[in-house]
Amino acid sequence: MLRVIKSGVLASFQDIGRFGYRHYGVCRSGALDPFAVCLANILLDNPPHLGVIEVTIGLCEFEFTQPCNFALTGACLNAKLAGKAIYPGWRYYANKGDTLSFATSAHAQRAYLSVQGGFELDPVLSSYATDLQASFGGLQGRALQSGDVLHFQNTQNKLAPLGVKQPEYKKQVRVLKGPHCDKLPQGSFERFINNHWRVSEASNRMGCRLSSDKPLAHDVSVATQAVHPGVIQVPPSGEPIVLLNDCQTTGGYPILATVIDADIRMFSQLGANQHCNFVECDLAHARKASDKLSAHLAQFTLAKNNN
Amino acid sequence: MLEAHSYLLGENAIVIALNTDKPSPSEQRRLFALTISLQHSSAFIDIVPAKASVTAYLAEPAQYNYWLKKAMLLWEESEEVAFDVKTHHIEAIYGGKDGPDLEDVALRLNMSAKQVVHMHSEYTYQVEFLGFLPGFAYLGSLPEHLQLPRKVTPRKQVPKGSVAIAEDLSAIYPSSSPGGWHLLARCNNTLFDPTLTPPSLFAPGDKVKFIPHKEGLC
Repeated sequence: MLRVIKSGVLASFQDIGRFGYRHYGVCRSGALDPFAVCLANILLDNPPHLGVIEVTIGLCEFEFTQPCNFALTGACLNAKLAGKAIYPGWRYYANKGDTLSFATSAHAQRAYLSVQGGFELDPVLSSYATDLQASFGGLQGRALQSGDVLHFQNTQNKLAPLGVKQPEYKKQVRVLKGPHCDKLPQGSFERFINNHWRVSEASNRMGCRLSSDKPLAHDVSVATQAVHPGVIQVPPSGEPIVLLNDCQTTGGYPILATVIDADIRMFSQLGANQHCNFVECDLAHARKASDKLSAHLAQFTLAKNNN
Repeated sequence: MLEAHSYLLGENAIVIALNTDKPSPSEQRRLFALTISLQHSSAFIDIVPAKASVTAYLAEPAQYNYWLKKAMLLWEESEEVAFDVKTHHIEAIYGGKDGPDLEDVALRLNMSAKQVVHMHSEYTYQVEFLGFLPGFAYLGSLPEHLQLPRKVTPRKQVPKGSVAIAEDLSAIYPSSSPGGWHLLARCNNTLFDPTLTPPSLFAPGDKVKFIPHKEGLC
């Protein structure tokens, strides 16, 4: 078992998200970096889509009450196993009684923790992800709390250490032009690209709110339509919102752009007051970037199995 | 003149959007028909109708060009066929602590509370789409005489089951949440339960009729 000693700022079970229920108003949920979920699982020979713990900010502590092979991915939140520094992109072995603790980082927000064989969770609506707003999925539909006991299969053998190269987290994000650029004031998209944006403190798993001294104010209204993670909406205030995994299924603000699928993971690490900027991308390059991530997973799986 | 267009939103969302923000009842019925014909394909992982559009999320993004055209053909072929819709009869306790805004709404509309209840429950609504919260259905259209803007100051906590109105819509809160709509009544139905199949009582296109319960104003 993994015992939660300190739950920290926010730690919850997530996977690559919940699909097939958006017409009922059910959001995707899931890890802000689904790629890190797959890597964390593949490092342990797990199926890639098992539930993992998404640690936000850090300041949490766990105790292994049984020996365990586990993996850490995402960003470096200065984690320690039994007092010794450990790093994302690696699998480790914990002895019974070992403590796993996360500090924080000024540059990063989220890390992912998987165990060999996966945590014992019941899928809800076909996913292990916690829907934090609607309170279902994951562990009793809520974030982890101190005192929680998380079950998993007994580890058979100690696995040898193994590491994988994780693609970089960047502060430059590629976007496709959105459908409402013609309705917004002329040049809005170009100004969006040319501005530097600051991540607002009001950002969360629903959306990353951006501010700038040159906002894109407007008075355009559009009919409510389906939206999804990666869509960039502009409310009348002109401060764009990059929708993330917990966003609502429909939205009524004009859509300026969409983040390419391969780059949505960058928002898993952008914290309040950090800066980011956007570059225009075309569909062909967006698909290529996604294919590159998939190829990375495939190559790692292959290399691991051949060794 | 074309009445709709299609475009790709992001990398895998096919959007079929009407060229108007306020579709006629006939256009709305055709959107439901389009939703159903899209559901017959296995190409999509999610199909989400909204006010004046349907968005279908492709399982395989490479097929987008085919589906941008195909979806328009399906729209053009879509007819206002009478498809099987469920009608839900929802017992609602109007007024008092269950509908704390009823008196205020009546005052603003220059009606008696009884007239408001009568008018709200006389009409059969249709689920235009769901959003905001799991199981939160936008029910259209509210009779013109009952239309009011949202409350200036939203409530921090609207109780689960509250029956509410705002602008040209009515709705029921499936769980307690903040909300800016006017609360007329409350019902005891479970609107969303993730352990059930399907998890939501209402689906897009369903009909809803409110029945005033004798515990409240009727």
